[in-house]
Amino acid sequence: MGVFMMRDELSFIIGGPQGAGIETSATILTYALAYCGIGVISDREYFSNIKGRHSYVHFEISSKTIPQYFTYPVQILASLDHETIFTHYEDLEDGGVLIYDVDVNERSLQNTLSMEEALRNNLSRRFREIGLDGSVKSVVEYLSRERNVNIIPISFSNTIKDIVEKTTLPASQLARYVSSIIIGAIASVLALPLDSIKFALEKRFADKPELVANNELIINTVYEFVKNIGGRVFSLSPPIHEHRELIVVSGNDVIAMAKIVAGLRYQSYYPITPAADESFTLESYERIEIDGHEYGSIIVFQTEDEISAINSAIGAALTGVRSSTSTSGPGFSLMVEGLGWAGMNETPIVITYYQRGGPSTGLPTRGGQSDLLFSLYASHGEFSRIIIASGDHLEAFYDTIEAFNLAERYQLPVIHLVDKFLANSIVSMPLPNFSEIEIERGKLVKDSIDGYKRFNLSHPISPRAPIGSKNISWYTGDEHDEFGHICEDPENREKMYRKRMEKLKIADEEIPQEKRLTYFGLEDADLLLVGWGFTKGVAVEAARRLTREGLRTAYLNIKMFSPFPSKLAKKILNKFDDEKIVAVEHNYSAQASKIIQLNTGIAITRKILKYTGRPIHLNELIDGVKKIVGGLREVVLVHGP
Amino acid sequence: MVRRIEDYYSGVWNDWCPGCGNFGILSSMYRAFAELDLPLDKVVVVSGIGCSGKTPHFIKVNGVHTLHGRAIPFATGIKLSNPDLTVVVNGGDGDLLGIGAGHFVALGRRNLDITVILHNNTVYGLTKGQASPTLKKGLKPKSLPKPNIQDSLNPIALAITSGYSFVARGYSMMVEHLKDLIKKALQHKGAALIEVLQPCITYDNIHTPEYYRKRIYKLEEIGWDPVARNPEEDMEKIVKAVMKSMENDEKIPIGVFYQNMYKESFEKRIEMRIPSYLENPPAKQKIDEEGRPIIDEEMFKKLFSQYIVEVKK
Repeated sequence: MGVFMMRDELSFIIGGPQGAGIETSATILTYALAYCGIGVISDREYFSNIKGRHSYVHFEISSKTIPQYFTYPVQILASLDHETIFTHYEDLEDGGVLIYDVDVNERSLQNTLSMEEALRNNLSRRFREIGLDGSVKSVVEYLSRERNVNIIPISFSNTIKDIVEKTTLPASQLARYVSSIIIGAIASVLALPLDSIKFALEKRFADKPELVANNELIINTVYEFVKNIGGRVFSLSPPIHEHRELIVVSGNDVIAMAKIVAGLRYQSYYPITPAADESFTLESYERIEIDGHEYGSIIVFQTEDEISAINSAIGAALTGVRSSTSTSGPGFSLMVEGLGWAGMNETPIVITYYQRGGPSTGLPTRGGQSDLLFSLYASHGEFSRIIIASGDHLEAFYDTIEAFNLAERYQLPVIHLVDKFLANSIVSMPLPNFSEIEIERGKLVKDSIDGYKRFNLSHPISPRAPIGSKNISWYTGDEHDEFGHICEDPENREKMYRKRMEKLKIADEEIPQEKRLTYFGLEDADLLLVGWGFTKGVAVEAARRLTREGLRTAYLNIKMFSPFPSKLAKKILNKFDDEKIVAVEHNYSAQASKIIQLNTGIAITRKILKYTGRPIHLNELIDGVKKIVGGLREVVLVHGP
Repeated sequence: MVRRIEDYYSGVWNDWCPGCGNFGILSSMYRAFAELDLPLDKVVVVSGIGCSGKTPHFIKVNGVHTLHGRAIPFATGIKLSNPDLTVVVNGGDGDLLGIGAGHFVALGRRNLDITVILHNNTVYGLTKGQASPTLKKGLKPKSLPKPNIQDSLNPIALAITSGYSFVARGYSMMVEHLKDLIKKALQHKGAALIEVLQPCITYDNIHTPEYYRKRIYKLEEIGWDPVARNPEEDMEKIVKAVMKSMENDEKIPIGVFYQNMYKESFEKRIEMRIPSYLENPPAKQKIDEEGRPIIDEEMFKKLFSQYIVEVKK
């Protein structure tokens, strides 16, 4: 029997070559953990590559809550290959567990050519310093000897061979199941009940009983094998949250779900990471069919480019349907002219904007928050737009629906800012509260109006008759009169211009400021972190832990950047001295703090920034805050391979 | 109800150059719409940028004057959401074949039921006569400082090879003929292109009415049969039509070059996946019940059961 260690929460990493089934393993483990009532969030890190490059999933699990952050060191490292061991061995906590394939013992760092040279050179230097010869074996021995790591050696090839004897499956097919070895080992180290694994497999491979059976056989075999080795077991305490059901979902998928609930009927897209998965999910639900009845259908349309994506979505919106497009930075760059047309023509349209590391192609599969200023100011000319940023999966669900409501209520483009971190992380999330969900379509008219004017000037928000209803309307990107015909008359120009701009003022008056930002922490905190988007999860937790340590820290999360909640933000920020406010953002220039300054006059001079494309980790954020308190004005974080 | 031509006049004052070929195109559109008795609120004219871009403002049907090159994407979104609408795109040669060429090709690949009227005057008129993608290499209309050194492209051949299932050419000064082409295109189910040759009387002193008068002849007068009725004869019809479209120096054919009668439209392709599509397209669907989403919590759980985990007691 192993040594049991009861914990409330822990972190672990599964790593291996891209395409080896890491993502599937992560989903299965998340299902199993959710089944046991354990809160999960997992960050998937990968290269822009189909097969072979190093990828890994970083899990954060908790029996107290649903975690919204990632932290180091991790308690378990499970590696499918040698590169994972080299890349992550330093991230393993002293006394942690290493699960690895003994067949890679002789593999050396020098010959790990799939690893980027910079990392290889760094590791080489480090290995020399600590006297390792660069083989897997030497690293494993070091971990065991110097870091008290519990080693779980498994021969993947022997495991497969043993199983071949028990089944009729050819060995070549079984090779595809190696990631299940990892699942079995982790389940064993976490002492997960085997019924949770069976449940997860049935969930994941719903219509493929033979996949369930084969995977189960491998997992159970490895589970027993690891149990018999003994060693440390990190057993999780019984869950204390109240949720009877959890949704296991990625950011991409939760937004797709929300769009379906919101009544989306047209989605156009051009393939781009990390946005495209959302459209795939929508396409698989193009017929909204429940119990054999169709409740509607969605046109999910792959266009020839992002220019066509936005413009066809605008065309759809003109016919009165809820319409959106999803993209990332390079795609949005192409969409900007269309955005301006939508602004000029007061067209409700939702752009789901998954930020990734830029500029240009940048870090196509990594995260970032460097497009806030761009989304606020993209397009020539001036017009009203709404910008909403979501901090976590559940928020993204509600915000997606709200984005459509606001777009139609104020007849303008809404940019919903999310990022790769959210898109690709899988969480176990509680069910949304449906009593809170409303569909508000604004001044949508379907009856015939005598002498209908689409841009009626009697109110900044005019009655909107869809094309195809009984009214005839004209639209143009040119300045126009009330009918939508080209008009350059200065008096008309001034009125139309003001009409378009004043809508934002109305939105600012109508949308409660408390809904546009959230303050987390003690009323009389001494230190204030300020951030937005995916930073929320880690910042809330950092503030909580710092407060527990005696540094009374709060976090201000900005959700809406246009219209900006100036009054409330100012009120909160004014309670703190200059050196007690710290911007926390995934960009170089602390973009949100610039918007805050623009709207409140308050300059944020202390910053914790990260732009490596990897998420801000809890441990480094806590260290960073301490450095700021110690007198540094700016801390740049870089941790994470 | 029989609609008259005047019913389609918007009353907006027309600011094209006196004698512009666009007038012939506009006239043909009015007449085609009236003869087909199209309901004003069920037609959408979508345009790009340039002189042709103003077309929708002169017609009393729904008008969407979009961005340079992007009329087809806008029109695509409109048509897909509400396939009951008759959707016409008006764009110039620079608009559809220069900046918007990708969309022009994509529409062919889809064979979506949209009629594209390509105003081909070989120059960018509204910006003072720069060479368009249809201006032949070596030509120098009076607006150009130097002769054009880019090759021209052939809109008819491009449309046919892109998948348009109705491809024709008209001439703006032959309104009756052009009206008939537009009617045929509107009645055709699938992507239709009508290239309209059109003198730019202000900037192009080469392609004058005189120039066209000498060269133009009607395909129907030589017994041209453009129709592919089945896949077996399609290849031959395509090759012949493309070859015919190469004839453009001394003699210029107008009329229907190619029409595919059996290829399914994009709407039909969607219907294969969503059988209710044409009957209940996005624009006709209700998405709320008195301000609440149609999908309530119980339905949500059923719809997304794959994602939902019941926590073990």
